[in-house]
Amino acid sequence: MSKKPPPRMIFDEDGAVIEAVRSGEKELFNRLISKYQRDLFNFGQRLCPEQRDAEEMVQDTFFTAYRYLNRFRFESKFRTWLYKIAGSVCTKKRKKTRGAREKEIPLQDFLKEEDIVGSKQPPAWISEPLEKLINRELSEQVRKAVTSLPEKYRLVLVLRDLEGFSTEETASLLHLRPETVKVRLHRGRFFLKEKLKGYYEEHRK
Amino acid sequence: MKSTGNKPLPGKCLAVFKKISLYLDGELESQSCREIRKHMEECSRCKTCLTMLQRTLEICRHLTPHEVPEHVQKRLHQIVPS
Repeated sequence: MSKKPPPRMIFDEDGAVIEAVRSGEKELFNRLISKYQRDLFNFGQRLCPEQRDAEEMVQDTFFTAYRYLNRFRFESKFRTWLYKIAGSVCTKKRKKTRGAREKEIPLQDFLKEEDIVGSKQPPAWISEPLEKLINRELSEQVRKAVTSLPEKYRLVLVLRDLEGFSTEETASLLHLRPETVKVRLHRGRFFLKEKLKGYYEEHRK
Repeated sequence: MKSTGNKPLPGKCLAVFKKISLYLDGELESQSCREIRKHMEECSRCKTCLTMLQRTLEICRHLTPHEVPEHVQKRLHQIVPS
């Protein structure tokens, strides 16, 4: 009977810092905080509608990572491990405060011609230079739209399209099958597209 | 009878709609990609839909990140006991 091969170890630049923290140089953990706090804070803001929840999520994530650093096995990047903790912190928080009810987004919601494009004429916002479009207001609109998605779609969309994880990484982070990630991502993307379309229709009146 | 509101999608458009995310992610086999590209040349509505979705993803990937507020940074650096 063939044995499962041992998982590949990832020993990148964070590895030496993690080893040093484990060996007693605890203050070096602050380097990891400084390096990843912005990523985690923005991730929190994209997942939690309330700023205070996002702040708590970042704090709980680093606290948990520090406390359980000995359990990190170098089987993923440290950043990926942090996101795994953050996702779980966020899910627990929502279950505790708002119950675990999850709304579905049926694909049929987007299956009407008018909902998909509105008209044959492409709207201006899809052809303008990106640097002209991206600003603080748009970022806030996207954040609001994303946080209004049901959580199961939101987590997938944020990890895949905003944080840049692959389908496989997202599946592994959320303990889902890659096929499930693809289905949720597809629906989440159409939901967000509709929100942006609505924003620009309103904005450009 | 002429529909006044939303009309159902034609079959070809529906098939493209279901695969459009996979197409954008490069996760479709080459035959399906060719079919989608061909359909896009013929259907301006689906082409607009694809471009809107592409633009939505570009926006997502280029959002302006927020800086971590001072009071949060301070709390984070209190996690490690001095």
